[in-house]
Amino acid sequence: MAEIENSASQASGESSFLLPDNHGKSVEPTLPLKKKRNLPGMPDPDAEVIALSPKTLLATNRFVCEICNKGFQRDQNLQLHRRGHNLPWKLRQRTNKEVRKRVYLCPEPTCIHHDPSRALGDLTGIKKHFCRKHGEKKFKCERCSKKYAVQSDWKAHMKTCGTREYRCDCGTLFSRRDSFITHRAFCDALAQESALTQPLAITNSGGDMKLQVVAPPVTTVVSSPPPPPLTPSTGVLSPVLSIQSSELPENQTAQLQPPPGAAAPFPGAPAAVVTVTASNSSTSSGNVPGNGGVFASIFNVPTSAELSHSAQPPVASYSTMLCTMAGRDQPVIDPMSLSLSSTLYMSSGSSSLYPAALEHPHRHYTSAPQPALSATALLQKAAQMGASSSNSSFLRGLGLAMTPPPDPQDSRHSIIAPSHWNNNTPHVKLETNSVASGLGLGLPSSGSSASFNELMINSSSLFGNKPATLDFLGLGMGAGETSTGGFSAFLSSITDGLDIATSNSFAGVGSTVDAWDYPSDRKPSML
Amino acid sequence: MKAELQAGNTSSVSLQNPNLFATTSQSSAISGALKGCLSSIDGACIEKLLLHCASALERNDVTLAQQVMWVLNNVASSTGDPNQRLASYFLKALISKASRVYPTSINFDDSTGRDDSFQRRSMSVTELARYVDLIPWYRFGFCASNGAILKAVQGCSRVHVLDFSITHCMQWPTLIDALSKLTEGVPTLRISVLSWRPRVPPTLNAPVQEIGQRLTNFAKIKDVPFEFNVIELTGLPDESSSDHLHYDLLITQMVNDLSTLKLRDDDEVLVVNCQNWLRFLPDDQKLGNSAEIPSCRDCFLDMIQSLDPCIVTVVDEDCDIGASSGLASRITTCFNYLWIPFDALETFLPKHSPQRIDYEADFGQKIEHVIGFDGVKRTEIFESSSRLSQRMIKNGFSSVAFSEETVKDIKLLLDEHASGWGMKKDGDMLLLTWKGHNSVYASTWVPQRLAELELWENSLLH
Repeated sequence: MAEIENSASQASGESSFLLPDNHGKSVEPTLPLKKKRNLPGMPDPDAEVIALSPKTLLATNRFVCEICNKGFQRDQNLQLHRRGHNLPWKLRQRTNKEVRKRVYLCPEPTCIHHDPSRALGDLTGIKKHFCRKHGEKKFKCERCSKKYAVQSDWKAHMKTCGTREYRCDCGTLFSRRDSFITHRAFCDALAQESALTQPLAITNSGGDMKLQVVAPPVTTVVSSPPPPPLTPSTGVLSPVLSIQSSELPENQTAQLQPPPGAAAPFPGAPAAVVTVTASNSSTSSGNVPGNGGVFASIFNVPTSAELSHSAQPPVASYSTMLCTMAGRDQPVIDPMSLSLSSTLYMSSGSSSLYPAALEHPHRHYTSAPQPALSATALLQKAAQMGASSSNSSFLRGLGLAMTPPPDPQDSRHSIIAPSHWNNNTPHVKLETNSVASGLGLGLPSSGSSASFNELMINSSSLFGNKPATLDFLGLGMGAGETSTGGFSAFLSSITDGLDIATSNSFAGVGSTVDAWDYPSDRKPSML
Repeated sequence: MKAELQAGNTSSVSLQNPNLFATTSQSSAISGALKGCLSSIDGACIEKLLLHCASALERNDVTLAQQVMWVLNNVASSTGDPNQRLASYFLKALISKASRVYPTSINFDDSTGRDDSFQRRSMSVTELARYVDLIPWYRFGFCASNGAILKAVQGCSRVHVLDFSITHCMQWPTLIDALSKLTEGVPTLRISVLSWRPRVPPTLNAPVQEIGQRLTNFAKIKDVPFEFNVIELTGLPDESSSDHLHYDLLITQMVNDLSTLKLRDDDEVLVVNCQNWLRFLPDDQKLGNSAEIPSCRDCFLDMIQSLDPCIVTVVDEDCDIGASSGLASRITTCFNYLWIPFDALETFLPKHSPQRIDYEADFGQKIEHVIGFDGVKRTEIFESSSRLSQRMIKNGFSSVAFSEETVKDIKLLLDEHASGWGMKKDGDMLLLTWKGHNSVYASTWVPQRLAELELWENSLLH
């Protein structure tokens, strides 16, 4: 079933057309009184799916002023403009009937956003996406010849291109001099430079310290497969990249000396690099150690062998950011976030880790976030859910349930002892903190990870091996008789809920969290 | 039985225990707080809830504390809007505090607490370089201090910088660069840091010696004669024990060690850089027999003053959370201060930006320190700019104004960041502001006798 939008009913004045292979379907919407922000690429299942044609998506300025022929994208804007000519104008009121959430599809069949489950929630977003990904790059930067399909991207680039941009030898760009200087002082490129005896051609243009390393491009050491050709957007980086890689084997000893703490054997580095390129085609975000290997070789950090412990979680997050970057044609990011992500471009363009995230430059998501559900609504919902599962330990923890007090063996899990509970066996490690420390969050740990694991395994066996998703009240338990004490489970569920996003960043955190499965719908991280 | 917590909604909530929301004074306080929140949870609401939770904990009202925590948990989210994020960190801090408040039920091994929280994550040097520039929080202090240092050491041939900071020498590349450009001759620069540092973020995965090595390389390229020293502090309590009760002793020991070292050669000028440092020095005023025994912080300043530095830079967070603050006042102050970095990050980074989340988590750890610990165990004691000013004067310093050039440099720096950042002057101090609210202050000081000497010398010349 296809949905035809009446242009009169749309505030934006766009109309939609049917496509021959349209997969759009319309669903009766529920009544959201407040707008909920959905994650990129994962739209509201009750939303109305709209498929616009390429022509519509590419059209700009369809509303034209009859006096001066100025074009506008929206009728409202045209009306406002007409006021300036002292013409009669009329602003259409926003329709008062309930607003149905709309999501939009990309008409290009090969595109990931052609799938309704990956529709984009924002009209401007889909237009820009289509333009960027499938459109012609009509805007070109004069200084650096970068091409852009979307005019706003081009304008954003023009603001920074060539204007006081500082480039480090490692390829990172900076718009601010002090960040450039600070980075440069600590950058590995500097360490290599001082170790090398190659002559440097230093071009001082207007006092800027732009060092051009004069060395012939050398083939990289990555044996299998060689890095794919860089897209134009990172084209400037390619000679640097190749020099960087080529310098690695030459400078093994030089680089090993400065950090006394790093025991990384350098021969491991090319292997780590290879692992990344091989693994990037297959994907999952769990591949942290391999990703870390790329950074190991370049930023002189312990290689992947040591990364399996929690040493480098931020490296993981930056490497995921890098791979997110990988598939973009035009990285539209503020200069400050350029540094790490643009240094290396090792993964192939089409096989990035987070395809859904690619098409969404982060600017779409910096608009004001929506308020959370009200506390009262939450309480209602929670209580309704709670009422239906009569033995939910959480409610017992709150003292709400009418069931008899738990067995002595359960009470050992309670941390805070309301009067009717047994107070014996106070020996409880606060598992929350262990979870938190396992997740790398900085809550003081209550003890060794061994005891934490033990506790978690005990809990999970009580749960019938379903510890994974603790919905807040149900706590993941079907049959609740042998449930653990309220407060500790309550605390675990809090930290579990609170830490989803953080755990996303700290994907590589170590062994203490082996007993947990993270919820599988981890959100892709974005710049 | 309907909950008294509903506001403006007709459907009733059936709960199994009719007595839960009975009208006790505490419960009605909660219901009042929630009623006030109506359809949106804003900062004031969250603050009230936090305070309710804190007072419940202090009164040992566990049930109430749990209830409030439950509500807060529904509101909090580390990837939500700034208020939600703040709430999530405050909630975590309260939870960990709660776990310590009930020691009979919990076998909580306090000694490993700090260590585990510390190994949360660490950055590489380049990541750290980027981290300090994410928002002007640190760079403001660097820029102001370096500007003042540059002016103070002009004409000197040898400079020794004693660096007390938590940002692993990120401040110095720009100073080295500026020194390399001095037309009247480049001084020899020596930077000394301690082998110990407070166990707080930002954490670095490299030892301080590596930092020194890189700075040395950099200075060599810039043709600045340079030397990097690490002052090994001996006799410190074992780091792994992290015994908070002995933190006082640790600092005292450090001060003693420093006073025995020869920190300044004869033809060398000494610069003391206290950047995000003083708040980690204990400030408990101990009362002796007749007189007040100065706190560690005062002892440290006294020691510094006796070294006769040509300039002392003090940069810190402009907030008053003193040693004797109660939990409620700490929550309020902390909440009404740390909204600033969360709000600032919100303006230009998306919800799930790993950089943003990491940065916020570091502030979250600060919240943890402030909320989670009491008394001597609290190792981060904030002092506002005005109080610091009084303290410096009491310890024999007089303030020095920043030059117009430095002010201009800072303005240029702030222009590069989001438009909410600004700067204002307060006496001789400079304050970094976000949307008009004070966040970080920068100040410079000289020993009073030095200032008086200069005045006298100037008067002789005229």
